[in-house]
Amino acid sequence: MVDITVRVNGATHTNSVEARTTLSDFLRDDLDLTGTHVGCEHGVCGACTVIVDGRAVRSCLMLAVQAAGSEVTTVEGLAPDGSLGTLQQAMWDSHSFQCGFCTPGFIMQATAFLSAHPDAGEQEIREALSGNICRCTGYQSIIDGVLLAARRSHTD
Amino acid sequence: MAQIAAERYTGASVKRAEDPRILTGAGRYVGDIKLPGMLHAAFVRSPLAHGRVLAVDASAARALPGVVAVLTGADLEEMTIPGQDPLLAMMGGDGPVAEYTLLATDKVRFVGDPVALVVAESRYLAEDGCELVEVDYEDLPPVANAASALDAGSPPLFASVGDNIIGPHKRSEFGDVAGTFAGADRVAEFHIDVHRHQNVPMEGRGCVASYEAGSGVMTVHAATQSVHVTRMAVATRLGIDRDKVRVLAGDIGGSFGLKIGASREELAVAAAARAVGRPVKWVEDRSENLTASGHAREESFDVRAAVSDDGDLLGLDVRMVIDTGAYPVMGTMVPGIIEAMLPGPYKLTALGFESTAVTTNKASYVAYRGPWASETFVRERVLDLVAKDLGLDPLEIRLRNVAPSTRPPFLMVTGRPLIGVTTRESLERVAELVDLPAFRRRQAEARVQGRYLGIGLATFIEAAPGPRSAEGSGGPMGMEYMRLRLAEDGVVTLFTGQMPHGQGHQTTLAQIAADEFGVPFEQVRVVIGDTDVVPFGLTGGSRSATMTGGVALHGARQLKAKVLDFAALLMEASALDLEITDGQVLVRGDPDSAIPVEEVARQAASGHFDADADTNLEVEASFDGGEGGWSGGSHCAIVEVDVETGLVKVERYVAAEDCGALINPAVVEGQIRGGIAQGIGAVLLERSAYDSGGNYQSATFMDYLLPTACDVPRIEIEHLETVPLDADVNFRGVGEGGLIVAPPTLVNAIEDALTPFGVRIYEQHLPPARILELIAAAQSG
Repeated sequence: MVDITVRVNGATHTNSVEARTTLSDFLRDDLDLTGTHVGCEHGVCGACTVIVDGRAVRSCLMLAVQAAGSEVTTVEGLAPDGSLGTLQQAMWDSHSFQCGFCTPGFIMQATAFLSAHPDAGEQEIREALSGNICRCTGYQSIIDGVLLAARRSHTD
Repeated sequence: MAQIAAERYTGASVKRAEDPRILTGAGRYVGDIKLPGMLHAAFVRSPLAHGRVLAVDASAARALPGVVAVLTGADLEEMTIPGQDPLLAMMGGDGPVAEYTLLATDKVRFVGDPVALVVAESRYLAEDGCELVEVDYEDLPPVANAASALDAGSPPLFASVGDNIIGPHKRSEFGDVAGTFAGADRVAEFHIDVHRHQNVPMEGRGCVASYEAGSGVMTVHAATQSVHVTRMAVATRLGIDRDKVRVLAGDIGGSFGLKIGASREELAVAAAARAVGRPVKWVEDRSENLTASGHAREESFDVRAAVSDDGDLLGLDVRMVIDTGAYPVMGTMVPGIIEAMLPGPYKLTALGFESTAVTTNKASYVAYRGPWASETFVRERVLDLVAKDLGLDPLEIRLRNVAPSTRPPFLMVTGRPLIGVTTRESLERVAELVDLPAFRRRQAEARVQGRYLGIGLATFIEAAPGPRSAEGSGGPMGMEYMRLRLAEDGVVTLFTGQMPHGQGHQTTLAQIAADEFGVPFEQVRVVIGDTDVVPFGLTGGSRSATMTGGVALHGARQLKAKVLDFAALLMEASALDLEITDGQVLVRGDPDSAIPVEEVARQAASGHFDADADTNLEVEASFDGGEGGWSGGSHCAIVEVDVETGLVKVERYVAAEDCGALINPAVVEGQIRGGIAQGIGAVLLERSAYDSGGNYQSATFMDYLLPTACDVPRIEIEHLETVPLDADVNFRGVGEGGLIVAPPTLVNAIEDALTPFGVRIYEQHLPPARILELIAAAQSG
């Protein structure tokens, strides 16, 4: 077992984990942050995407011990008081999702992308989200949600 | 959070009630469930397509610290009841019965067949345990495809069946088949293949089972399309009284037909929980999902088409073989639906249909969004092939063959009336939207520049629910049930057996009930996913729009009448003079009389009324589908094929759909787009591939390719609303149409693009390598 200290959604956690524990399992099983979903465990589908030190990462491909000393944001950290952030609200307004399983990954990927590329257009957004798989929607409603959030951020 | 000021919620894109939880990570999926003392299961699976199990040595696994139990096939056989697949047993398929155990005992029948179950303190330890289970196998010759299975000498998968023909060869004829073919100007013949592909919901299968020895109650948290079907399966295979099985379900991460009832693995997990006396969780990983959850389609068709020189499709004669994989689930039920639906919206007057279902050493056939979809693929492909032979335009040949709108309605040659079908309108509309003549000019100009554009049209109808039968012998889809209650806090509470997994029923049903009862949308709650409180039901077959939408409407009407009867006592008025508007009961025309429905509910619960006053503000409603009707539509795709790389780009995609009255346009459009995206995947990317030895080749997302945001274009949708057939309920199902019609739409477009090369296409899966092969073959041939 390895002792690690990680900041997750602004709170510091010190835990003892097996070295082989993935970050996604650590978040879900040890911290009960089940908003992060595990869709493929080989880094393709993006459902498990979280933000580590400002960058979107696949938490199924990262070990918890690698996150020691890092700042991790999960979907639960975006709206701490149960409200919706700009992107979440725009996605609600756009009927972005159906089953909701891929949702946290898309939200975290889009959050990281928009913070670096606030002026992105549709094609750039499609490319930025092309590493996240949604099986329900055909993507258009998700893209529309991200575009709406970007537009609202500009007018805020 | 009141959200819209529309006159009616029904028909508006009301924002989904489900979304605040799923957007914040507060959804509750089966993988999120954690029970005290919960253990984790992992499966040892067969590496062989076909083999005899000689010995299973679990001693090393059992000795591993953290491993609580290892259950082999033999162990499970002692604690469960062998039988057919529970769904198959319920629905009744044709053919010989293959009974089997939950885990392999004597034989393994496909790569991924579960052989043993390891239960441990964590999933990591359970997988460690699996590594230590030693299984001795004896190789048996694999039956790797339908052709082998049809060979009488192939080794039978099930000794009790004797050969590998599970759905016996059958032939039916409708109309004068021999006469039609004898009298036709020409008879065209084709062999058409539909490849094996699969559902791939983002959340795989899974369950958490716990058993209370004291009460004998088994509780299963499931990811299922029906908690009641799952309960039936658990009770049957575990030998527990049905009333002692409780199945719960929360959010479900997609299914598309995969999660009906309970799979062998889920039943084995429930048996394991009972055996070890602690809760056990299993959520399949992606490799298990791709390898072992089940696959769809893999059908072949020998087609003869009787055609006139003018382009009339007079008759079809089709021989179908379906490869149902190893363990018969529903593959034997599909040919009958294909037979009934093959005529589609067209006026052909003769159909011969033969089918054979075979078992092979591959993953079992499961339902996938429009399981009978190949009827549309075959028919719409044949029309284009015939049109090419005759020099007709694809639109022209379809319009020529569409059945006329007559009274009484034209009957499909297989029997059902084509009432309220708008095929002609939707075909004309998509052609108009894309401006067909302008496209042909652009296509010709592009070809001069060495660019290959193509356009494809296809049309479908779906019995969602289907028309009421001519004999009046009942509804088109059986009965749907709902319990409705005005709770003491004034919330209209709907209990439904629907088990939404992305369809948004907690929104759409609430819209209908809110309008009919007269409360704000937010004052309706839709309760799902608990066999102790919801009536029987199943989400599937594009059933819920009509059937559950209808029972919500009629149930809310009944509940409202009951509430008004009681309010009449309170308000000393006649119930006939009362109405409910915006959550207030009032004497019509007298706003000062208004009292909130919650006050009525509180009074009813107060116990202050005589026994003869009906204070039970609850109703049990049922609905038979009313007049029913068809849903359907026409799609049109414009593609560009890069003849150097074989890559296909979908430039434009237009759909004109008719699902009757829309409940929630955004939800409807989401269903259509999602189905089309799966169709794009099916044609351009996805294939559940086996090699000739029955070894699975597509066990990761690097091998089984799904469409991404860069592969699916913006999809343009127009809604046609059929003339209403029913006095109240004209919502039609729209869940499956996108995936039913997108594959022929795309293949037709690709063939059109490749016309200069003389390419003819008789298959559905067209990845780049296959496109290049087709071009090369056409040029050399």
